Amino acid sequence: MSNGNEIKPLLIKDIGSVHPINQTKSYLLSLLSSYGFTSIEGPEIETEEFNFDMLNIKKTHPARQMHDTFYVENKSFLLRTHTSPVQIRAMTLNQPPFSYSSGGKVYRKDDDSTHLPMFHQVEGIHVDKEVNFAQLKDLIYKIIFELFGTDTKIRFRPSYFPFTEPSAEVDILSNNGKWLEILGCGIVNPLVIENCKISPIKYSGLAFGLGVERIAMLKYGVDDIRDFYKSNLDFLKQF
Amino acid sequence: MKILYEHIISFLEEKPSIEDISEKLFQLGHENEVSNDIIDIEFTPNRGDCLSAYGIARDLGVFYKFNHWLDIHNSNIEPLKIDFTNNCPKDCPFIIFLNIEIDGEIKKYQPYIEDYFQNLGVKKNNFFTDMSNYLAYEIGQPTHCYDFDKINNEIEFNNVELDFEFETLLGKKIKLTNNNCIFSSNGTPINLAGIMGDKSTSCSKDTNNALIECAYFNPESIIGKALKYDLNSDASYKFERGVNPEFLNIAIRRFIKIVSEHVNISKINIYKKSYEDLIKKVLDFDVSIINKILGVNISEDLYAKYIDMLGFALTNDKKIIVPSHRHDIKHQNDMAEEVARIIGYNNIEIKDFIPLAKDKLPEPLPADESIKNFLVKNGFSEVINAPFSKHESSQAMQIDNPLDSNKNFFRTSLKDSIVDNLVFNENRQQDSIKLFEIADIYTKNNIVNYEKFLCLAISGRVSNNYENFSKKLDKKYLNDLFKNAGMDLDLDLIKKISRDGLKTKQKNEIYCLEIKIDDLPKPPLISYPNVKSDKPFFKYKKISDFPSSTRDISFLLNDETLISELENILLNFKSENLKEAFVFDFYKKDPNNIKIGFRFIFQSRFSTLKISDVDEEMINIINASKRIAGIEIPGL
Repeated sequence: MSNGNEIKPLLIKDIGSVHPINQTKSYLLSLLSSYGFTSIEGPEIETEEFNFDMLNIKKTHPARQMHDTFYVENKSFLLRTHTSPVQIRAMTLNQPPFSYSSGGKVYRKDDDSTHLPMFHQVEGIHVDKEVNFAQLKDLIYKIIFELFGTDTKIRFRPSYFPFTEPSAEVDILSNNGKWLEILGCGIVNPLVIENCKISPIKYSGLAFGLGVERIAMLKYGVDDIRDFYKSNLDFLKQF
Repeated sequence: MKILYEHIISFLEEKPSIEDISEKLFQLGHENEVSNDIIDIEFTPNRGDCLSAYGIARDLGVFYKFNHWLDIHNSNIEPLKIDFTNNCPKDCPFIIFLNIEIDGEIKKYQPYIEDYFQNLGVKKNNFFTDMSNYLAYEIGQPTHCYDFDKINNEIEFNNVELDFEFETLLGKKIKLTNNNCIFSSNGTPINLAGIMGDKSTSCSKDTNNALIECAYFNPESIIGKALKYDLNSDASYKFERGVNPEFLNIAIRRFIKIVSEHVNISKINIYKKSYEDLIKKVLDFDVSIINKILGVNISEDLYAKYIDMLGFALTNDKKIIVPSHRHDIKHQNDMAEEVARIIGYNNIEIKDFIPLAKDKLPEPLPADESIKNFLVKNGFSEVINAPFSKHESSQAMQIDNPLDSNKNFFRTSLKDSIVDNLVFNENRQQDSIKLFEIADIYTKNNIVNYEKFLCLAISGRVSNNYENFSKKLDKKYLNDLFKNAGMDLDLDLIKKISRDGLKTKQKNEIYCLEIKIDDLPKPPLISYPNVKSDKPFFKYKKISDFPSSTRDISFLLNDETLISELENILLNFKSENLKEAFVFDFYKKDPNNIKIGFRFIFQSRFSTLKISDVDEEMINIINASKRIAGIEIPGL
C-alpha cells in the first residue's frame, strides 16, 4: 500500500470510541434539536422539590420511598430519578413558548439482570398555546419513524404518570410479533405548569421520555444491558 | 392481578369473548395477558377502583353494559354494642364492625367461590377468612376477621409510635417501630390497620363468632408499611390505592349474603360510624376544554354520552359528578383522558406538530463533543461508571440508602473507577489501553457543588500498528498528545498509578490524568468532528469471555510491490476465530529486501481454543500467503 511516495504497509490508525450510550444520547438529542428542542443540562443530585413535588409526585407515591430512590445526606437531597427536574428548573426561569430536551444519568434503587441503579434518559417538553394530544402523537410518530423506520407499527396505550394527563406508553411491534415499550409521554399536567409559575389557562404542554439504554439495545442488538457498563474494550471499540 | 373471565362477565349483560375483553382492557390502559380462562392484569397505581372483578367489569362498562347489581343481605340489622374508640379519624374516617355468629355445618363452597380458590391457586384458610378474601377479590373491599371470643368488647384505633413485637396471623414476627395505625384491645395491638391482623385474635377453623371490620383508611396513613415490614398484603395494596368509602355498607351486606349461602347465621349485629361527610367531586361539563386538550372535535351530545358510559352523573346545570370510587379524577385533563380511553388513543387523528422557529430558541449549550472526538481520534475509548464509591472524605456526599453498604459515598474523583476499568481490560489480554471518562463530580461545602471532569488512564503500547508497537504509553505520550493539539498541560497533573493492591499481573506503567474540563489549557481544542458519525447504528458483534491466543509470523519479500498483495490476503483472512490481525513490524532495507511481521489474535466465542486449533488456523494462513511468489517465511 502506498503511503505518499514510499511503499509501506497500511498504517492503521488506532481509533477509540465514544461510549454507545452517549452516542445514542447524542443522536436522540440531535434528533430532537431538528424538531426545535434545545438541549439543557442540570444536576444529578437534586432536591425532593424539583424531582418530586414540582412534578405532582405526592409524598405518598411509591417512587419516593427509600426502596426506590437514593437519598443523600440525611434526605437533604436525592439522586434524580429522571431528567424531568432539569426541565422544571428551566421552566421556572422562562416563559413559553419553549421546547427543551434533557439527557443524562438517572438513578433508581434497582439492580438485576434488566435494571441498573444508574441508567440514562432523554426527555423533551414543549409548552405553547394550544398544545394537544393529537400533536403529541404526530411528534412521537416522527421520532419513532426516524429511529426505527417509517414502516414501524406503533401502538399508544393509556398509562399513568403524575406529571402528565392524559398519559400514554408507546409500543412498537418487533420482528418477533411482540409489542415492545419504547417511551412514555403525555400532555403536561396543568398542576405542573402552574407549579412553574406559568398560566395553565393560557399554556399547555406535551412531554415524553425515552430510556437511552433501551433504544441502544434495540438499535445495536445488545441483549444484556450490563454489557454497556463492563468497560470491556472488545465491546466498546466496536462503536 | 389475576381475575377469572367468568367472574368479570358475571357483571356484564353481554358476554364478550375473553379475547375481546383483553383487547378492550388494553384500550383502557390495563396491560394484560390471557391464559386459559384467567386474565392477568397490570393496573396503573391510580386505578385502585379496578382491583376486583366488579371494578374491572365496571371499567369495561364503557364498552359493555355493566350490571352493577350485587346479591346482598337486604334485611334490617340490629345495632352492635361495641366499645370502639377512634382516636385518629383522619386516618380512618369510615368504619363498620359486623358481629356474625354461625351454627351448624359449613357447606361445600359455592362453585363461583370454589373456582376462585382452585383456578387462581389461592390457599384456603378458615371459613371467615376465605369469605373475606373472596369478597376483596370480587368487589375490592378488604375486610378483617377477628375471632370475637378472643377479644373483649373493647377496641381502640390509634396512629401511635410503637416499639412492639407483633406476630401476624400468618405467624411472622415483626418489630413495629415509629408511627403505625393500630387497632388495639385492652392496650395490646391486635391489628396493623389495613395491612394484617395479629395471630392471637385471628379466626380459626373453630371460629363461630366473628367480628368483621370493614373500613376506609386514608392511603397516606397506610402507604409503605407493608413493604417496611416485608408483609405481602393484598389489603394494603388495595387500601394504598384507595377503596370506595361509599361502598362499605354494600360490602358488609355482600359478606353476610355470601356467608348465608354456606352456613346458618344465628346472629348479626352491626356498628357503623362516619367521622366526615362524603363530598362528591364536581367538574364543569365543558366539551371545548376536552377538545382543546385532545385536539379532537367531539360534540357536546357525544361527550354527555361518554360521561354516561363512564357511570358519571351529569346534572341539569351542566356539572359532572365524579363517583366516589374514582379517586383519580380531579380536573379537566383527567376527563380528557377518560374520553381518550373511550375513543381509543390509537383512534385519535394526528395533527401537525409545528416546531418552534429556530431563531426564537436560546443558544445551544457548549458540548463536550470536541474533546471526546479528539480523544477518540487518538485511540481513546469512553467508559461510563456509576458514581458510587467506598471512599469517605469531608467533601464526599453520603448516600443514606446505598445498594451496597461498602459504596455509600458519591465519588469525588473519577480516577479509581477508571483504573479499575483499565485493570479489567489488562486481565482480558488487552495490551494497549487508552480510556477516558467525562462526568460531573459532586462535593459538599455547605452547598452542593458540581463540576465536569475529564479523566484519562493509559497503559501498554501506544497502538498496534508497526510505527507504535514498541512505544509505551507514558507521561511523555500524554504530554505530547495535548501539546501537539496546541495545549500545554501541567505535567504534575499526570500521575503514575501504583500497582500496589491492583489485581493484575501486568507490569506496564499506568498513568492517569484528571482535570476539570474548564481547566483544560487554552486555547481550547478546535472542533473535532465525530469520526464515526457516518454510521450511527449497526448490529454489534457479541464479545467472547474466553482467553485469546496470539501468533506472530514474519515474511521476507523480494519486491515491495508485494506488500499490498500480502496485506490483502492476510488482513482480510476469513476465519470465525480470528479476532484481529495487524502489521506490527516493518523493515525495509531496500525495495527488494523487506521484512514484514504480522500478528494474529485468535479467540472463540464458545470455548477456550486449543493449541492445535490455533495451529490449524495458522497453517491455513501460511498456505494462503504461499500463493504469492517472491515471499518467504524465515525458518519454515
